[in-house]
Amino acid sequence: MSNARWQTPEAARRIARRNAAERRFKLIGLGAIALSLAFLALLLVIMLKNGLSGLSWTFLTGSDSTDPSVAGVWGATKGSLLTMLVTLLLSFPMGVLAAVYLEEFAPRARWIEWIEVSINNLAAVPSIIFGLLGLAVFINTIGMPRSSPLVGGLTLALMTMPVIVISGRNAIKAVPPSIRDAALAVGASKVQTVFHHVLPLALPGILTGTIIGMARALGETAPLLMIGMRAFVVTPPGGITDPASVLPMQIFLWSDEINSGFIRNTSAAIIVLLVFLLAMNGLAIYLRNKFEVRW
Amino acid sequence: MILTGVLLAVLGLGLVGWFAARGRARLLHTGRGSLQSMPVYHGWHMLLWILVPALIAWGAWMAIMPGLVDGAVMADPAAAQLPADSMSRASILAEAKALADNPGQAAFNPLSQSLSEPVRAAHQRFGLIGAVLVLIVAFAGGGWAFTKVRANFPARSRVERAVMVVLLLASLMAILTTFGIVGSLVFEAGLFFKDVSPIAFLTGTHWAPGNARGANLQDSFGAVPLFWGTIYIGAIIAMIVAIPLGLMSAIYLTQYATSNVRKWLKPMLEILAGIPTVVYGYFAALTVAPIFRDFAAAIGMANPSTESALAAGVVMGVMIIPFVSSMADDALAAVPRAMSDGSLALGATKSETIKKVLLPAALPGIVAGVMLAISRAIGETMIVVMAAGAAANLSLNPFASMTTVTYQIVQMLTGDQEFNSPKTLSAFALGLVLFIVTLVLNIIALRVVKRFREAYE
Repeated sequence: MSNARWQTPEAARRIARRNAAERRFKLIGLGAIALSLAFLALLLVIMLKNGLSGLSWTFLTGSDSTDPSVAGVWGATKGSLLTMLVTLLLSFPMGVLAAVYLEEFAPRARWIEWIEVSINNLAAVPSIIFGLLGLAVFINTIGMPRSSPLVGGLTLALMTMPVIVISGRNAIKAVPPSIRDAALAVGASKVQTVFHHVLPLALPGILTGTIIGMARALGETAPLLMIGMRAFVVTPPGGITDPASVLPMQIFLWSDEINSGFIRNTSAAIIVLLVFLLAMNGLAIYLRNKFEVRW
Repeated sequence: MILTGVLLAVLGLGLVGWFAARGRARLLHTGRGSLQSMPVYHGWHMLLWILVPALIAWGAWMAIMPGLVDGAVMADPAAAQLPADSMSRASILAEAKALADNPGQAAFNPLSQSLSEPVRAAHQRFGLIGAVLVLIVAFAGGGWAFTKVRANFPARSRVERAVMVVLLLASLMAILTTFGIVGSLVFEAGLFFKDVSPIAFLTGTHWAPGNARGANLQDSFGAVPLFWGTIYIGAIIAMIVAIPLGLMSAIYLTQYATSNVRKWLKPMLEILAGIPTVVYGYFAALTVAPIFRDFAAAIGMANPSTESALAAGVVMGVMIIPFVSSMADDALAAVPRAMSDGSLALGATKSETIKKVLLPAALPGIVAGVMLAISRAIGETMIVVMAAGAAANLSLNPFASMTTVTYQIVQMLTGDQEFNSPKTLSAFALGLVLFIVTLVLNIIALRVVKRFREAYE
């Protein structure tokens, strides 16, 4: 048996062909990732190339203007900050409390299932639909001031809340039952157990989810377009009821300008927005690594 | 203004009550087991009894006060000259109110100038009455709770009951939001369907809301070109980009990459999902669209437009890659290890195992992931607003400018027209269609995923 069947030249050729197919397949996979990342790199390089020269002190501290050389992002940034403040103040407590209820206290009943289904669906509803809701309810029915960070923040809070609820539930679920048992065994009530022991342990996870949800809200444009946050604001908003613009909206508005000086401004504003998002995501990753406990 | 101040006063009162009740409960403490609840719960009990009734009273007063102010202004002699029809009457009153808030302004109508003084007086008078009322309620609640600070009073269970109510209300917010969305969409779309029949809307092929009035109202709102544009960009072009790239990167990351490589590549891929859509839109309009336009010109198309379905669809596809990749990742991970081990043991190479065993087994999960990706793509707004164009085209040419449902919603609602015209209302009808389609896609996908997981467990 010196010449087994798998040692014939024909068999060797077949194996070589299969190995080549194997290598090809692996390369295609690597190529897919490389192509996606190349697209990302191209996007970032073009924005940096167009925008870096536009980043200056006057740009960072100025407000919108029809003259690209004096227009700046501070007005829009302040609008974004006010809007995010409203969003955070509403969606964080609401989301955490709802997550606590659903995970720890909710009875197994039909209507609880309805809540869960609606939370999961809300997380997948297109953001523009939330804008329609904000327009119909907050502006036309309740009569809140148009273009204000208040309405924008409310709308984004409704959008962010399901994200916080879902991540909050996962974080609470990850706290081992022995913690609860220990607290209950020494005589704590159910509410004390949850608020004194479970919630503090779940907090890093909840915060990570909240920051990611807020980062998404910060980059959101479409729902704010619906509620008219595209005002041409020359002075930064003084409060949450003043007309305001937000950073992504400023990008959108400048991208429509015909004056070619605005290409630099738009790219520079994109850099500012991406820096904010990067910082938020970095904070989320840091929190997760620092406080994550493996049980 | 006084009503905002009174809220702060009530908050301060609540704080004082918290300390007072806790202090008094501490005095009652005579040794282990002498108190049924810890002093701090007496404090919370008191705080709740001060804040909740006072806030309810405040809300009720805010709701009825405008009516009372109007009544008082109508009783003023200057109001006798108001015109009879309710429309101009309301506008004069509104101007008078604006003047009362901000007296320096010039009045458009002299009548509102003379009415602004009574409005301000009524505001002040009823504001003061309301403030006193709220404070009385707060004191009454607090006083009642203070008498309850006794050694055997179960303050903790009372407070915990209130906590449960708060928790429940927070979770009901989700249902309320869903109802709010469905309610407002159905209501506004209903107004639209009074003017335009749903059948003409869903089956018509002519979309020209700009010149929609009178007789041709029915024929100007045919949304089929919009649906086609949405499907063509979001479900066809974007998926042609996203499915192969997303699936192949998931296969590489889960099957070939070492854990070190994976640790770096996966977050980098996920950056793609974190970039705001407005940035993608700008990139599509600034860089990608001109490339496709020049390409179209090079292959001999007559005056290609800058805005093309292809540019928007390709960029949208890239945006969706991480989403498809992570869904495929989950689906591949759910396939039992024994299946691929069996295939490898029979002598199949890794790629043969992936193609012949892993992918067919993971197919339901991957399909569900693609459905979720499509539902995300068709709801995407900014990329199509900035790169796809406004022309309602029923065409197969990817280089043509095409419009989508989301683009038209933005278009209909960002102009300066009155709110109840069919044009603006059509945005809500489009929103309703979009909501229903994404909802159905999501429900089916989630069900498929669930059944698929169960099959392997």
